[in-house]
Amino acid sequence: MNLIKKLIYLITALHLLLAVPAMAQQRFPKPEFESGYEQPDTITPEPRSLALEYFDVAVLLAVLALASWLALKKRSREGILWLSIFTLLYFGFYRNGCICSVGSIQNVVLSFSDVNYAISAAALLFFLLPLIFALFFGRVFCAGACPLGVIQDLVIVHPIQLPFWLRKVLGLIPYIYLALAVLYAATGTDFIICRYDPFVGIYRMDAPYTMVVLGVAFLLMGMFVGRPYCRFFCPYGVLLKWMSKFSRWHLTITPSHCIQCKLCTTSCPFDAIDYPSEEKAIVGSRAGARKFLLYAVLLPLWVGAGVFVGAKSHAYLSRANQDVYLAELMIAHPEVKDDPDNLDVQTFLSKGRTLEQLVEDARIVRKKFYTGSMIAGGFIGLVIGMTLLNQVIFRRRTDYQPNPGDCYSCGRCMDYCPVDKNTAQLKTAVPVMKKE
Amino acid sequence: MKKQGIYIFLFVLMVVIVVVIVTDFATNKPGKRPSNPFEYEMDGFHETPEEEILYKETRNLKMKMVQLTGITCRGEELFVTGDRNLQVIGLDGRMKLDVALPEEPLCVAVSGDRIYMGALASVMVLDMEGNLVAQWKDFEETSLITSIAVYENNIFLADAGRRRVYRYQPDGTRAAEFEGKSTDDVLHGFIVPSACFDLGLNEFGDLWVANPGKHALENYTFDGNLRGFWTSVFSDVKGFQGCCNPAHFAFLPGGNFITCEKGVIRVKEYKPSGEYVGVVAAPAKFIEEGKVPDITTDAQGRVYVCDPDKQSIRIFEKK
Repeated sequence: MNLIKKLIYLITALHLLLAVPAMAQQRFPKPEFESGYEQPDTITPEPRSLALEYFDVAVLLAVLALASWLALKKRSREGILWLSIFTLLYFGFYRNGCICSVGSIQNVVLSFSDVNYAISAAALLFFLLPLIFALFFGRVFCAGACPLGVIQDLVIVHPIQLPFWLRKVLGLIPYIYLALAVLYAATGTDFIICRYDPFVGIYRMDAPYTMVVLGVAFLLMGMFVGRPYCRFFCPYGVLLKWMSKFSRWHLTITPSHCIQCKLCTTSCPFDAIDYPSEEKAIVGSRAGARKFLLYAVLLPLWVGAGVFVGAKSHAYLSRANQDVYLAELMIAHPEVKDDPDNLDVQTFLSKGRTLEQLVEDARIVRKKFYTGSMIAGGFIGLVIGMTLLNQVIFRRRTDYQPNPGDCYSCGRCMDYCPVDKNTAQLKTAVPVMKKE
Repeated sequence: MKKQGIYIFLFVLMVVIVVVIVTDFATNKPGKRPSNPFEYEMDGFHETPEEEILYKETRNLKMKMVQLTGITCRGEELFVTGDRNLQVIGLDGRMKLDVALPEEPLCVAVSGDRIYMGALASVMVLDMEGNLVAQWKDFEETSLITSIAVYENNIFLADAGRRRVYRYQPDGTRAAEFEGKSTDDVLHGFIVPSACFDLGLNEFGDLWVANPGKHALENYTFDGNLRGFWTSVFSDVKGFQGCCNPAHFAFLPGGNFITCEKGVIRVKEYKPSGEYVGVVAAPAKFIEEGKVPDITTDAQGRVYVCDPDKQSIRIFEKK
């Protein structure tokens, strides 16, 4: 296994070195052909054929099914690891990280908000299949089918446990990211999930240097903080978490019954194992009732504050939209029309649209932003309020068990459990533990 | 690694991640984007070190034509074409002859008592009084005669439209033609992306043809066999730039080349071997993105630049 890991590190390091930004420019102006020569039309590469798109869907389905079987039935961490490597190669380096389920959120949102946009069946299935599997089997997509997740999973070297409060604070980022991604996609402004995908540049070996820096930073961080992007950024993870919480079947640490050996407690690099409730907490849980009431009362205030902030920030957020920005620019500085270096303005002028049309389009977009920002703000406020509320809701647990929302079903903890899955007795050889 | 070191390392990485995302979001917006990375930046090419400029402009002669196209010099007379005219002026600028022509001339050459002018699919032949004595029209529809040079009884024409060189007899019969190709694929042929295709004969009777697409000057026998060539592809002042240069060339006494480039207009001197000598006229002397001037020389080594943008003949002499 060590050899495999070393190999993976080596390949990843090589790819990182190769992923330098490539820029090209025409060295000389185009020649002035004056003898009947016709400039050939620009050839746009054909999209991936429909059959191959469905093949990708079939591969995803197979990987999800296999991951579920490996995590729940076979209980094989090694199998999941090999599946991760396949995903890294196929969905990562071969399919260049696209289409991915994480970014498909935006396609789905845009298909609802823009009547002129039709989402492909493949994109829709990429969005739905992992969620459906999460609803039944937990986050098996994260375990072995997500190219963004597996690349981080393979670089974990020395995971450390983050403080509880830090995890909770950072855990809010995916919700904010999701809200903004939906807002920008719904207004047709930008696909920010794709724009800030830190690993797609590595898979494609072609990215602006800032994105390469981002990817490398996440991977370096991932050596000590397991899957930092998945845990503290991934907006799709929010949806998977919601589904997984209600999963019908979920990976368990022990195949039979927990013997409270605590061997698994340090096995999870993602801090996703819930411990049994302490006696003190059980006794003191009633004291939390007052706190619960307080946070419950505060919940609408959080939502209201979010709506207020959203309403106030909609103008700023809307400036990321091309039409809004151009309209503001051309009204404030009409002289930019004569600036040949302003590509945005020159592109607009070449399209033949009038300033009045632009302003009208910008007004419509800004109105959408006004509504959308308030909804996004309210959502974020709700999440903050619910996160606080969750801290005082007492849940009785008697065993060590994976948190159904946070667990990536990677199967690491299973190897630490000394209970044999066939006999339900202790294994003869117990893994040697290295205590943090 | 100690835990504290790991925390510091993680903190630094977190800062990097935040800075990258925030910076990108704040700067990479419409109108706030960095300057076009694909912009064809020409400013650097317009600068010429002063020590490289070997000539100075001593005079210029204002022409009474709007669209100057060609120039040649014989003795104390300059033959200049433009609009639909041929004008002959003395070196003092006095007009000696102004002839209206049936077609717009593109180039001019003088030999004996004949003046030859190339045009769109035709060549006009005038006597020294300006009378049209012949007009050769046995060209293809796509022909564009952009250069003429005469050596004894051989009149060489450069056809930019068909990328060929013709050799004519004085009676107007075509004796030979060649495309600069060979059967063994060693030679590509003339690459002429624009209407700039020049040829010339030096004082030793060597025929040189510009191959502008290859940034080369090629020496041919009169039957079209390549004898030698030189090329100068540098991005600095020593080389030829752009799609198709040199656009024009002429010979100094002794065989040195004077070349004129389009795009970033500049006139330079090269040795017969192709070794760069220096600059005759730097780009600063011309209008940016102006029309390319034709050039000629005289026996004293003066360089005459037929500047269409300033509608004048500009005379350069060695410093």
